[in-house]
Amino acid sequence: MAAVTALRETALLVNTARGLVLLAMALALEVGVSRRILDPVFFSSPSQIYTAFVTMFQSGTLQRHVWITFYEVALGFATGAILGTFCGLLLSRLRLVARIVVPFFMMVYGLPSIVLAPLFILWFGIGVMSKVAISVYVIFFSVFIAVYMGALYTDQELIDAVRVMGASRRQLFFKVILPATAPQIYAALKLGIGLALIGAIAGEFIAARAGLGYMIFFATGTLDTPTVYLGIIILALFSVILQEGVNLLGRALVRWKFYDEK
Amino acid sequence: MKPKIVIEQVGYHYPGRRQVVEALRDVSFTCYEREIVAVVGPSGCGKSTLVSLIAGLKAPPSGRILVNDSEVSGPSDDVGVIFQRSTLLPWRSVVENVELGLELRGVPSRVRHETALDLIRKYGLGGFERKYPHALSGGMQKRVALIQTLAFNPAVLLLDEAFASLDAQTRLLVEDEFVRVSREMGKTVLMVTHDISEAISMADRVIVLSARPGRVKANYKIQFEKGRGSVLEVPSLPEYSEYFRTIWDQLEVSGVSF
Repeated sequence: MAAVTALRETALLVNTARGLVLLAMALALEVGVSRRILDPVFFSSPSQIYTAFVTMFQSGTLQRHVWITFYEVALGFATGAILGTFCGLLLSRLRLVARIVVPFFMMVYGLPSIVLAPLFILWFGIGVMSKVAISVYVIFFSVFIAVYMGALYTDQELIDAVRVMGASRRQLFFKVILPATAPQIYAALKLGIGLALIGAIAGEFIAARAGLGYMIFFATGTLDTPTVYLGIIILALFSVILQEGVNLLGRALVRWKFYDEK
Repeated sequence: MKPKIVIEQVGYHYPGRRQVVEALRDVSFTCYEREIVAVVGPSGCGKSTLVSLIAGLKAPPSGRILVNDSEVSGPSDDVGVIFQRSTLLPWRSVVENVELGLELRGVPSRVRHETALDLIRKYGLGGFERKYPHALSGGMQKRVALIQTLAFNPAVLLLDEAFASLDAQTRLLVEDEFVRVSREMGKTVLMVTHDISEAISMADRVIVLSARPGRVKANYKIQFEKGRGSVLEVPSLPEYSEYFRTIWDQLEVSGVSF
């Protein structure tokens, strides 16, 4: 009991300290910028950022930017994850095809998304689709590699044990290989969501009409520093929310790792 | 007695990078119905290969293996295998694992669920039905694996070092339970082990394989004047040490002899 109480007290201390650090930073910025100790071209005070937030929120432009980026990442994420899982599982069954194709996959995977972004914009235009394509590209490869390797290296003893119980190839696939690969799929989705966001934002930096990346890029060009900071803060929160979404998805995939009973 | 497992002049080679490795050479023996036969041999003598061959997980390149009078060409409903490591599916609860064999055979879910629950309770694991394997001890996992195999009712049980991973006491208890259950259900058992004591305590017959390539070196019928009691009692019977010494000498354990 004493240990539990001590743990709670430590948690309280840590949270309070974190709050104080955040408050101190905000206060320093506020005072620094309003007293002109910090150059307002490079820094913004919390009150300026808040004003930018209210203005953009009331006009609805902020919601539009957030929605566009969310749409790009979510659509790209879903498409890429489904395609990557499908191809990974399929190629793990078709050994000969895999031997021919996988080296090319690895070659393309090695290219940074920022290098391919201009090409995608050429192909799919400056609208939403080019950023969706970048997200798909990033997610696809990280999920593909995890699923392909996971399915290829599923514990042979587990496979043998279920084979002697009379499983057909099809049953082996759905009852052993697929669930055995679930933790790898989860890990790939976690890695992939961050990369997909980076890819979409990179695309918006290069050419776009809307989105958080576009908003930040445009504000930088017009020296609208509070909006730049606002964009960065929203992007950070956005990333946390996306990660949490993937966590929920992952826990559904590998629920047996989290619960003793169901 | 009816022959249940017949092994005729079986040889097996593993393809290697430089040269093929000969695992088994000209192995022949028979297990009869309701018999418990132990195969002992030094490590690398092809014991596990033998289990894989009988289970139909590999095709024998030479010789013949018959189970229930029909030649083994793949996994069959007549054969169940218990492996050394836990092979329970970690994403399935105990009851879902026990159901697996019936599920693969297309038994309706209500029926297989009832069957599984009955077996689990019968073998003293009531209350653990909904636990996942990682929450169970090694001994319990082994019991679940046994129940899982009994659930689809194979006539022949193969054990590949099945008890080697358990701690000494648990091991004796699980072994004893296994012998009682398999005798009660009239199973034919072929167990491979490196442990002479385990072989003598559990089996009616012990077959000694030579070092690689494995060949049948000796075949001992294990009999006790006063009858064998439980697995725990066998080591205190007078004949035990005699069998142990004879088999030990046959194994040629790095030149050490009694």
